[in-house]
Amino acid sequence: MRIAITGTPGTGKTTATTILEGRLEDYDVIYLNDLLEREGLYTSVDEERDSKVADLDALEERLAERDDVLVESHLSHHLPADRVAVLRCAPEVLEKRLRERGERTDKAHENAESEALDVILSEAVDHHGLESVYEIDTTDREPTEVADELEAVVRGTRAPSAGEVDFVGYLT
Amino acid sequence: MADDDKWGIAHVHASFNNTVMTVTDLTGAETIAKSSGGTAVKQNRDEASPYAAMQMAESIADEIKAAGITGLHVRVRGPGGNLQKSPGPGAQATIRALARAGLEIGRIEDVTPIPHDGSRAPKGKGGY
Ligand SMILES: Nc1ncnc2c1ncn2[C@@H]1O[C@H](COP(=O)(O)OP(=O)(O)O)[C@@H](O)[C@H]1O
Ligand SMILES: [Mg+2]
Repeated sequence: MRIAITGTPGTGKTTATTILEGRLEDYDVIYLNDLLEREGLYTSVDEERDSKVADLDALEERLAERDDVLVESHLSHHLPADRVAVLRCAPEVLEKRLRERGERTDKAHENAESEALDVILSEAVDHHGLESVYEIDTTDREPTEVADELEAVVRGTRAPSAGEVDFVGYLT
Repeated sequence: MADDDKWGIAHVHASFNNTVMTVTDLTGAETIAKSSGGTAVKQNRDEASPYAAMQMAESIADEIKAAGITGLHVRVRGPGGNLQKSPGPGAQATIRALARAGLEIGRIEDVTPIPHDGSRAPKGKGGY
């Protein structure tokens, strides 16, 4: 079973996945952004966003043989997966988390806008279908509670869900 | 374009199951009209989304025209823009409804934000 853990930057993927990692014996965790950096699996650099443009084909090929893995990154839903967990967070809160993590104002804002517009959720549903997507709202939850939800997705004790939050009010 | 033509910008935000629109003057500073949102019926999102967006556009078209606006440039923000079907179904329905209400439609721009954190997905290509 391959499980993608995705969500807009700042939703708490790395924090929750790190907690979950210690609880799962049968799964390896792949932090996709680290792999991309380490092996240079990108095609160009978006200077404006200070971000490397992922080489999705290269990443897919690199992971082709891997099963029983959690793939953590806001890019993970662009790769094949059996289940896709999409972490969500109210845009105002997400923007604050990113600012406190030390991100630039414009970066924090563009990510908050992306979250308000459900960009990643929509992509996940588009690529994998409603039956494979598990939306998890992290807004008022501790990282350990988010890890609990993720664990339920991994163990198959949670039903799929999508579109249960509406964050579009942030934009108007 | 005649002298008495007055143009505005329609900012269309199309999310997973909601579409909202704000109409401003050309500088973007002054808000002329604001929709309360067209929320889709969750059970039937694919059909409901364009329909709700259309109703939303129709309900504020009169307000826009009453303010003397005759034409609109459209700025679409929404996941539709990142996928192949650009702009998304809600956005398309909104634009069609505005045109049907007698508003001239000018430039249509896709300004969908891109999630990024040191990496980002390539534009236009959905990947897997
Ligand atoms: N559930 C949570 N509640 C509050 N703050 C959180 C939560 N999860 C993560 N954070 C904080 O928010 C920031 C972003 O978390 P991180 O795990 O780096 O997100 P991501 O990997 O999705 O970009 C970090 O500063 C982290 O400490
Ligand atoms: Mg992270």
